[in-house]
Amino acid sequence: MDRQQEFVLRTVEERDIRFIRLWFTDVLGVLKSVAVAPAELEQAFVEGIGFDGSSIEGLTRVYEADMIAKPDPTTFQVLPWRGERHGTGRMFCDILTPEGEPSLADSRNVLKRQLAKASDKGFTFYTHPEVEFYLFNQMSSSDQPLQPVDDGGYFDHLARGSTHDFRRAAITMLESMGISVEFSHHEAGPGQNEIDLRYADALTTADNLMTFRTVVKEVALEQGVFASFMPKPLADQPGSGMHTHMSLFEEDHNAFHEPGAQFELSKTGRQFIAGLLVHAGEITAVTNQHVNSYKRLWGGAEAPSYICWGHNNRSALVRVPMYKPGKGNSSRVEYRALDSAANPYLAFAVLLAAGLKGIEEGYELPEATEDDVWELTGSERRALGIAPLPDSLDEAIELMESSELVAETLGEHVFDYVLRNKRNEWDAYRAQVTPYELRTSLQFL
Amino acid sequence: MSSTTSGTGRRETLTRRLLRAGFADLTRSASLWADDDLQRRLPPDGGESLLQTLGATADPDLALLQLVRLAGAPGAGDRVDHLLSAGPGGPEAATRTRLLAVLGASSALGDEIVRRPGLLDSLAGEESDIGTDPAAVRAELLRAVGADPAADDPVAAADPAPGTDETPAWADVAARTSTDALRRAYRARLLRIAATDLTATDPLVLLPAVAAALADLASAALEAALAVARCHQPDHGAGVRLAVIGMGKTGGRELNYISDVDVVYVCEPARTADGTAVMEESAAMRVGAQLAARLQKVCGGTSAEPALWEVDAALRPEGKQGPLVRSLESHVAYYERWAQTWEFQALLKARHVAGDAELGAAYREAVDPFVWAAVNRDHFVEDAQAMRRRVEEHVPVAEADRQIKLGKGGLRDVEFTVQLLQLVHGRTAESIHAANTLAALDALAHAGFVGREHAARMGECYRFLRSLEHRVQLFRLRRTHLLPTSEEDLRRLARSLGLRGQGADDLMRLWRDTRREVRALHEAVFYRPLLPAWAQLSDDELSLAPDAARARFSAVGYRDPDGAMRHVVALTEGTSRRAALQRQLLPVMLGWFAEGADPDAGLLAFRKLSESLGATPWYLRLLRDSGNAAYHLAHLLASSRYLADALARSPESVQWLADTSRLEPRGPQRLAAEADAVLARVDDPGPAATKLRALRRRELARTGAGEVLGVLDPVQAQAAISDAADMVLLGGLRVAEYAARSELGLGTDAAANPTRMLVVAMGRIGGREMGYGSDADVMFVHDPVPGADAALAKDFAVRTARTLQKMLSAVGTEPNLPVDADLRPEGRQGALVRTFDSYVEYYARWIDVWEQQALLRARPLAGALGGDAELAGRFTDLVDRYRYPSGGLPDPALREVRRIKARVEAERLPRGADPTRHLKLGRGGVSDVEWAAQLLQLQHAHEVPGLRVTETVAALDAAESAGLLDALDAEWLREAWVLASRLRSALVLWSGKVGGPRGDVLPADAWALSGLANLLGDVESGGELEELYLRTSRRARTVMERVVYGED
Repeated sequence: MDRQQEFVLRTVEERDIRFIRLWFTDVLGVLKSVAVAPAELEQAFVEGIGFDGSSIEGLTRVYEADMIAKPDPTTFQVLPWRGERHGTGRMFCDILTPEGEPSLADSRNVLKRQLAKASDKGFTFYTHPEVEFYLFNQMSSSDQPLQPVDDGGYFDHLARGSTHDFRRAAITMLESMGISVEFSHHEAGPGQNEIDLRYADALTTADNLMTFRTVVKEVALEQGVFASFMPKPLADQPGSGMHTHMSLFEEDHNAFHEPGAQFELSKTGRQFIAGLLVHAGEITAVTNQHVNSYKRLWGGAEAPSYICWGHNNRSALVRVPMYKPGKGNSSRVEYRALDSAANPYLAFAVLLAAGLKGIEEGYELPEATEDDVWELTGSERRALGIAPLPDSLDEAIELMESSELVAETLGEHVFDYVLRNKRNEWDAYRAQVTPYELRTSLQFL
Repeated sequence: MSSTTSGTGRRETLTRRLLRAGFADLTRSASLWADDDLQRRLPPDGGESLLQTLGATADPDLALLQLVRLAGAPGAGDRVDHLLSAGPGGPEAATRTRLLAVLGASSALGDEIVRRPGLLDSLAGEESDIGTDPAAVRAELLRAVGADPAADDPVAAADPAPGTDETPAWADVAARTSTDALRRAYRARLLRIAATDLTATDPLVLLPAVAAALADLASAALEAALAVARCHQPDHGAGVRLAVIGMGKTGGRELNYISDVDVVYVCEPARTADGTAVMEESAAMRVGAQLAARLQKVCGGTSAEPALWEVDAALRPEGKQGPLVRSLESHVAYYERWAQTWEFQALLKARHVAGDAELGAAYREAVDPFVWAAVNRDHFVEDAQAMRRRVEEHVPVAEADRQIKLGKGGLRDVEFTVQLLQLVHGRTAESIHAANTLAALDALAHAGFVGREHAARMGECYRFLRSLEHRVQLFRLRRTHLLPTSEEDLRRLARSLGLRGQGADDLMRLWRDTRREVRALHEAVFYRPLLPAWAQLSDDELSLAPDAARARFSAVGYRDPDGAMRHVVALTEGTSRRAALQRQLLPVMLGWFAEGADPDAGLLAFRKLSESLGATPWYLRLLRDSGNAAYHLAHLLASSRYLADALARSPESVQWLADTSRLEPRGPQRLAAEADAVLARVDDPGPAATKLRALRRRELARTGAGEVLGVLDPVQAQAAISDAADMVLLGGLRVAEYAARSELGLGTDAAANPTRMLVVAMGRIGGREMGYGSDADVMFVHDPVPGADAALAKDFAVRTARTLQKMLSAVGTEPNLPVDADLRPEGRQGALVRTFDSYVEYYARWIDVWEQQALLRARPLAGALGGDAELAGRFTDLVDRYRYPSGGLPDPALREVRRIKARVEAERLPRGADPTRHLKLGRGGVSDVEWAAQLLQLQHAHEVPGLRVTETVAALDAAESAGLLDALDAEWLREAWVLASRLRSALVLWSGKVGGPRGDVLPADAWALSGLANLLGDVESGGELEELYLRTSRRARTVMERVVYGED
């Protein structure tokens, strides 16, 4: 018997768990949940739980509405905020078709497929995200201006700061769910926080991120505030990104590491970065999927608007962090465009695909950029061959539309769905008359 | 025998002696024979008896060489003296025969004897090596490691401390550790088994006993290795029960000389009398895992003596990811929930071989029910088919003809057949629960699931293949399943199996025959008993009881076993010759249907076909005599409803299946000649039209069969379908003119026609791109003969066109070809027929750009069968001016084309249709690609002659060579167009339905998708097909948008 499944059944019994939530993620990265009683769990392991997929974003076409959610026992956790006694557990699910095949529309499966491709080449893909988000005071109506919970800045330690308590509570809860936190601190914006998850294989990280968002929101509610992962909630403050460190391992060996090479970066590592740069434009609609994402990307303040890489260059899209001597296995590259509102499964899948493409095709890595690319003039950037990332969701969609790489990675179904959905989002956004327009034009014209 | 004293003479005589004895390398062997060490030890007869014994070995030259080496080996002296000097008869001579047989068949064992002459002692004596009580073998190897065979859990003696010179009392003098002692004892017994095997009068008869002896030896080695492992545990592993379960050939007690030994471990803490465990289960598992790991190292790790074999525990639950040992309960829990079908197949062989016997028996008892319930699992059929494919796949091409184990007709094939039958019937018949292949085969025959004759022949094949494998492995003691290639190796192999004379050739012939027989036997053994008793060919044959037959039908994928049984009964019933032939034919056909997408439909169609054709003398004879015809027929019937119907209606078409060259298109000339002959015989328009339509139906069947069987590519198939339509239109025109003349009282002579008629093919028929369900788009042109009455000419032309339309479009017994003239000037409002001059005038004054586009596919019909070539030429010249406009397309016209395309996209797609799945009008479908090609033609055909074609693919090719499309864009358009066209055809072939709203939509249900994938042949699964179409069409759409809308 699969020991993991046995373990889950035993734990549910021993800890008197009354509900098990089965979690999965729709194509847009929104967490979905269905609860089952312990008595149904065994059945769920064997056959999965049937549900109507047509009402879930992007999951099915109308004519094959029946889908099956099959829990992955290795992801079992007790949800700490549901209390110790008569608790609630949760597992992530794979989505299957009624014939028992992995669903082409399941974003977890998209990532799994891509990881399998990497595995065929002997690679395991690890990621380590730095998640930023804002905490705001609760508002009684949506007309009120946003009120960050504090006025702190980068690394500020605020006496009796509520964010401090918040982070401690959130981290405790994450750790109790088996999610290791590497680092946490107050970020540059008022009420802005950053929590870094410890590196893990990409599927685990993506699952963890889904949990993370839920935990952060739960803890915030407990403390009477609310948390938002919106990429750019305050126009005059830094946005919330999700810088993600990535590395490939061959068995126990970090494939990006080569002692003595420039930045200790191996040929594989250089090609991986080259792949990220070549395909950066076309994957942006996935890594930065909302209209609002582009306000962060083009809002200055170290946001990576230009496609270039550098060593410790905080304005570059891809950064190779300072190498710590003797830590060969910590070699990694950091992709800085990704934001906290992305669907992590799809985002990791396209990033990995772009990097692998660089390795497969043996792309040449251009020179590193040591300048702050924001300081350069447009002509200078052109001369250096530094192209911009798409400046709006509209442009990103257009680039993605003609991307074979993204189509192949997502599969035709998800690809088509994401494009249609994003096109709708853009159209709806464009139809708005904003307060800014009213303020600047209404009286004046 | 006389011998001369002269040197050369003596040499000659020796050479002749060697030659007669069976030596091959005469010069070298002659000089070896002269070796001093050998010569001085020869027996009194001058060595003649020795030479004869050498000559009887598999490889006399090798045997002699090894003997000479042995004679000179240190420590061999006395023993060799003793053996060589012995005269014929007597125990020494028998030992000598055994020794030489080994030396001549196994260079590896020979080398070992030279290295360890002490082994000669173990060859001596009458001691039986094969058929020994397994307990005695176990005791022998346990004693070799200093363990007490009588103990419940024997423990080996400890190894002497490193550095001490003391020889352990229990050990063979040369062994320094118990591991080495075990290995030496093992090999001594292996040598004895080989010696007995190689001196057997009939190795094939002895084979089961040899394989059993090898399995017992392996079990004993596992037991002794476990004793060694226990010795390494602090308290000898007390309190831990460990059972070693043999799987695969070890479990089946049918091992070969050298192969991985497959095992699974079961572990439990010991319990006191009241049932309480003496230790924690987790602690017991930890010790158990250590014991198992050490056991594997003792058998397969590096040491002074060579390793025995790898102990492979990969068949355990969860495979290599799973824990090495598990409790009984944990095994059961795994099989209850998680195991795959193949794992149950593997469990068939599970047998306790070492360690705790009681636990081993409990394990077997516990897993048994799972094995026999496996056949009821979901997906059993698919799994079994996949297992069978695994039997046949994964053989590198270079090895395919030399693989004894894998591939069609190999050992695996026999084992698979036997195991599948066990799984299918074992639920109800306990007597067939044997782990041993040959025993299971006997039991299956005994219990009435396999005919006795077939079982016996299959057993024979198995023994031969296994003996071959044994001999190949013995030579170098390597784990190999490949026949050697060199003449020398093959000769040795043949001789070792008793094939003298033309040994190598005989062997290869026997080998090929056996493989062919195994393949045929699978069908005979599996499918023949599905025929009812009275339908069997002889009294020896058997027929399954209804329950067993039902189980067998559903195990191979028939969804309605009762229906299948009814069809089989109907087909084989009676005493007619027809039924007799069916009895021969049906078993293998049943197997072929099962390989298709829809076995039930295939069998039903076969029954219908046979019922309508059974009386035809050639039908069954053809199927019986031509394996090709029968196979092709089964394949077509089980994968295409359209062809099942078509073949039923054109019975003669079954004849084509024997010879695929007859599936090639007949070509326009031969079709025309045939139609011509038909029309010459018939006077009445009605029957004439029916004949023409029948001809077309026959060609559709031919083309469909050709396409499904891969004789035609999709483009060739479209052309063939179009040629048949041309033939019907031209022949029909002739008939219609005849009818018009008689209506108007103009007599029978075509010279009396007041006007000349022309049919212009348009659309898909114009492009020679018709599918099985396409209509014929046409325009009618006439040109009054000089001096004819204009009104009469018009009347004649209209009557002719109407009659032609009616004749071909009317619903009737033969399939119709709807003739659609809507593309004519002014569409449905315009006149059905116009004069040539009227076309000239209309085009000059009124032509629209959409009409120019439509004219790109205009192809006036004229050929051997009819049509006015002169008028056709004039009409072509006329339309060329408009479809290939000089200077290309002016901007306003280009804008108009784009606008029309945009409007068509919005309007023509049926309501509610998913644009991504509509093959004709959807995103990147046929229509998108054609618009791209046609726009390029309108723009550039005036300067690029290659673009002046009516075929889409040809136009795309020309655009690519002229640099109007880059290579990738052209490729994407072609791929999408070809795939969509193939799918449209496949939809008709699969469903048997022509037209209808579904005919142009990629289906969503999994069953239809996998049926289509099966028809296409080059796509693995329905899911893959769907993904492929969506991708291909998306790409084509982007290219179309660039080309037509000018978007970048």
